[in-house]
Amino acid sequence: MPKGTDEPKRSEVLQGTLDLMILKTLHALGRQHGFGIARRIEQVSQNVLQLNEGTVYTSLLRMQQQGWISSDWGASDNNRKAKFYSITKAGVKQLARECEEWERISGVIGRVLSLSAEG
Amino acid sequence: MFSWLHVLAAKMRGSVRSGHRDAEFDSEIQAHMQMLTELYTSKGIPAEEAVFMARRQFGNATVLKEHQHEQRSVLFFQTLWRQLTLAVRQLLANRLFTTVAVLSLALGIGANTSVFTVLDQLILRLLPVQHPERLVMIWSTGPHLGNNDGNRRVSYPMYQDFAKRATAFDSVFCRTSEPADFSTGNRSERVVAELVSGNYFQTLGAGPALGRVFSSSADDRRHMGHPVVVLTHAYWVSRFAADPHVIGRKVLVNKYPMEIVGVAAPNFSGVDPYDAPQIFVPIQMAPVFTLGRDDLGNRRSQWIHVFARLKAGYTAHSARASLQVLFHNILVEETHDPELRTASAYDLQKFLRRNVIVEPAANGYSELRQQYATALMVLMGMAALMLLVACSNVANLLIARAAARQKELAIHLAIGAGRKTLIGRLLVESVLLSLLGGAAGVLLAVGGSIALLDFIPESERVMLHARPDLRILLFTLVVSVGTAVIFGLAPALQGTRLDVWTTLKNSTGSVVGTSGGVRLRKALVVGQVALSFLLLAGAGLFSKSLANLKNINTGFTDIDRVYTFEIDAQKAGYGISQARLFYARIRDKILTTPGIQSASYAMVPVLNSGEWDTRIAVEGHTPKDGEDMQAYYNALSPGYWKTMGIPILEGRDFEDGDRAQTASPDEKPNVAIVNRAFAKHFFGNASPLGRRIGFAGAHSDPTSARIIGVTENTLYEGPRAGVHRQVFFAFMEANYPLSATFYVRAAKRSSEVLPALRGIVARMDPNIPIYDATTLDEKLATTLSTERLIAMLSIVFGGLATILAALGLYGVMAFVVVRRTKEIGLRIALGAKQSAVLWSVLREASMLMSIGIGIGVPIAYLLGWYASSQVFGVTATDPSLYVMAVLLLAGVTMASGFLPARRASAVAPTVALRYE
Repeated sequence: MPKGTDEPKRSEVLQGTLDLMILKTLHALGRQHGFGIARRIEQVSQNVLQLNEGTVYTSLLRMQQQGWISSDWGASDNNRKAKFYSITKAGVKQLARECEEWERISGVIGRVLSLSAEG
Repeated sequence: MFSWLHVLAAKMRGSVRSGHRDAEFDSEIQAHMQMLTELYTSKGIPAEEAVFMARRQFGNATVLKEHQHEQRSVLFFQTLWRQLTLAVRQLLANRLFTTVAVLSLALGIGANTSVFTVLDQLILRLLPVQHPERLVMIWSTGPHLGNNDGNRRVSYPMYQDFAKRATAFDSVFCRTSEPADFSTGNRSERVVAELVSGNYFQTLGAGPALGRVFSSSADDRRHMGHPVVVLTHAYWVSRFAADPHVIGRKVLVNKYPMEIVGVAAPNFSGVDPYDAPQIFVPIQMAPVFTLGRDDLGNRRSQWIHVFARLKAGYTAHSARASLQVLFHNILVEETHDPELRTASAYDLQKFLRRNVIVEPAANGYSELRQQYATALMVLMGMAALMLLVACSNVANLLIARAAARQKELAIHLAIGAGRKTLIGRLLVESVLLSLLGGAAGVLLAVGGSIALLDFIPESERVMLHARPDLRILLFTLVVSVGTAVIFGLAPALQGTRLDVWTTLKNSTGSVVGTSGGVRLRKALVVGQVALSFLLLAGAGLFSKSLANLKNINTGFTDIDRVYTFEIDAQKAGYGISQARLFYARIRDKILTTPGIQSASYAMVPVLNSGEWDTRIAVEGHTPKDGEDMQAYYNALSPGYWKTMGIPILEGRDFEDGDRAQTASPDEKPNVAIVNRAFAKHFFGNASPLGRRIGFAGAHSDPTSARIIGVTENTLYEGPRAGVHRQVFFAFMEANYPLSATFYVRAAKRSSEVLPALRGIVARMDPNIPIYDATTLDEKLATTLSTERLIAMLSIVFGGLATILAALGLYGVMAFVVVRRTKEIGLRIALGAKQSAVLWSVLREASMLMSIGIGIGVPIAYLLGWYASSQVFGVTATDPSLYVMAVLLLAGVTMASGFLPARRASAVAPTVALRYE
């Protein structure tokens, strides 16, 4: 699929961070379907992140197998049958762990980047 | 932590109703797409454009579905199934290959499984008792200055000292086993009785199935005070038909009245699983079993086995260290005993340097195991080597096939199959092959184990069986899969390392091998030759050792018509003098039987591994420090020398007139016969006739016996032990527990002799059982059963390995010749002689063989030391063995190299040059 040259520059979603974003979304908004999660990430990222929405499902399945989220069938806003995901207890713990990890790393990277040349 | 478990569980669940979940996911995606499309149309984008944008936004749905499907299920199983069916098809398509490979593996695995079946039962099984790993056996080494009744024996007072004073053990118990005459009602039979200390059952954690078992408080207090019997469960079932009213029944054990008080738990059969008793009796009753002798208080008689349960925190090693101190103190106390007052300072010094040994005994103690353990270990090693040879062979075949399938593999790689997938596929094929081989191997192993057990004399193998059980099947499974990985991995790695482009470029139909494939195959053949060399050298070593033992001069003549049987009148209730007369009357009866040339009897059966040895006193001879004063005894009836065909060199045989006038227990022997080795050591060239000898030690008159004859040397326990200095007393003068082993020389070997002899004994007293009835040459063969076992099997293993190696070499050389067809054709076209071509191929084959042997020789040399304890009269590094093995291997490998070589030399140049 050739890429249009006129598209704005967007960043690839970092490997592993999608899980974190989805967990956080579910934690913040509660029960959501895949479409809703994708919308939320799109909205929050303000179109900076380039996201194949399909990959959300890969992530969802992976986390479900880890036991961090659970799913059930329900009706969407316009009464369509949809699968809803919610975060589990283990998921909340995992989210806390990953947040901490993320902050630690981003802190380190931030410090490295802020080193001045003359130091 | 266990997240992979979560995932696996989820995947397992996912694998079920996989199709249903695929459909679910489909609808989920569709819903998402629709919502996306609606989102765009709601922003005023035309419907067609909106669908396109939604698709782009979502990404490749097909790939996603595929990934979801894989992620959701345990892909492994599905792929495995697919690969399995593929592999089956491959194996069926190539039947010759499959047959050869499966047969090779079946031989290798079968050999290993049969040896393991026996090894497992004899060596690896733990006793079915509580915490067998905390059990240890205690005994000691060094000169005990007294009598010893077998391996690892301890005196009873020493056991009591250990039990009271040792700190490293929760409890110490002792046992020994004795044959006994057991009768209830009017039926009497011979059983094995295990004499045990009172704490025996508690320490082992074995309870009763009925009634009670012994306890220290009730059954170990008074000398001869506990006439009670516990039956083994098996004996209770077979002899008493599991009668619950057996408790309280009065029985006679060696004619001594006792009472049955209990039946032991079903799976409990003592600490020697291969000499399982039928009854247990408290050890305080030992004098009932060792008639005419009471060693319960005798520190100079070692006759019991001592076991203990380690205290928590102790290992066998640390327990030994603490016990050694106590042991030494006991020895110091013993030196003050009257029995040791006459011992020389030199002997006492050595006596005090004795060491106690504490060894883990989780599988109990068994003479049978001691006898066969090393042999079985050696055989297991040889079987493993043979399996390696078989593996190399199959690996070789697989490489050849991978080479033939290169195109197919290259196409797979070219159209996108991963190398991992291909390797997996090839490995599945290997595993399937080796499982087939394993299955065939198990069938072979049943036959193999039966054959193996045939080498163990019937009387000794009662508790062994050839049935493969779950453990054995598990062993075979592990071996098979392990084998598959060993022989399958290299070819799979090799076969998939392809230059796809060049392989595909070559015209179809040609057989092209990468040079690496051939190099690996050659290396495998070299390995096979080296391993075969090891096995052949071993086979040579063991069979030469066996031949040496067989050819050793026994000193007996025409032993194929010397018949022997054993009876024990005393155990059937005869007193000592009664028994002596009974035996003499049987001999008289036998002598009047037609076809019998002579008859006699001895107290200790010869060629039976047993012995009677103790220190000798020789009048006028002062033992030098370190001089071996041990002599080996027997007590004989008149006629022994004539019956056994042993020449009397000087003097005469015993006569009935030599019998002692009275038969009091203090009677000392008046006359003795010695063998040549004894005479030579003590008297040199002077005649020993008239000189006086006797038992050293307690007697006030140690040299009571006058030497009346000298005879030629003969074997005693068996060929391995060789000739000892021997002293013979008249049976009529012996006052020990009297069983008698009869020897009868018949005019010719006949199957009627033994029944006739049985008839004579039965007519004299129907209550006396006869046992060990056979011929003397069979006795001799029995003493060599271990040696024969190793020799025969090592020949089989060596032979099979050589055949497999030859097959391997043939395969490689044939392959090389095909690859070189064009080159050879060119050479012939250019005028090369046929013989030159033949030689060039043969040279390559002999090169491989030489390298293999070159590797094998030093390894064989190194392994030699391990085998040296097993061989007799031959050094493990005997060059003649090596020469034999080399010649045999050279012959076979040259033959297998010759066929391809001849084919090469017969190549027609025109055909070869067109060949592509």
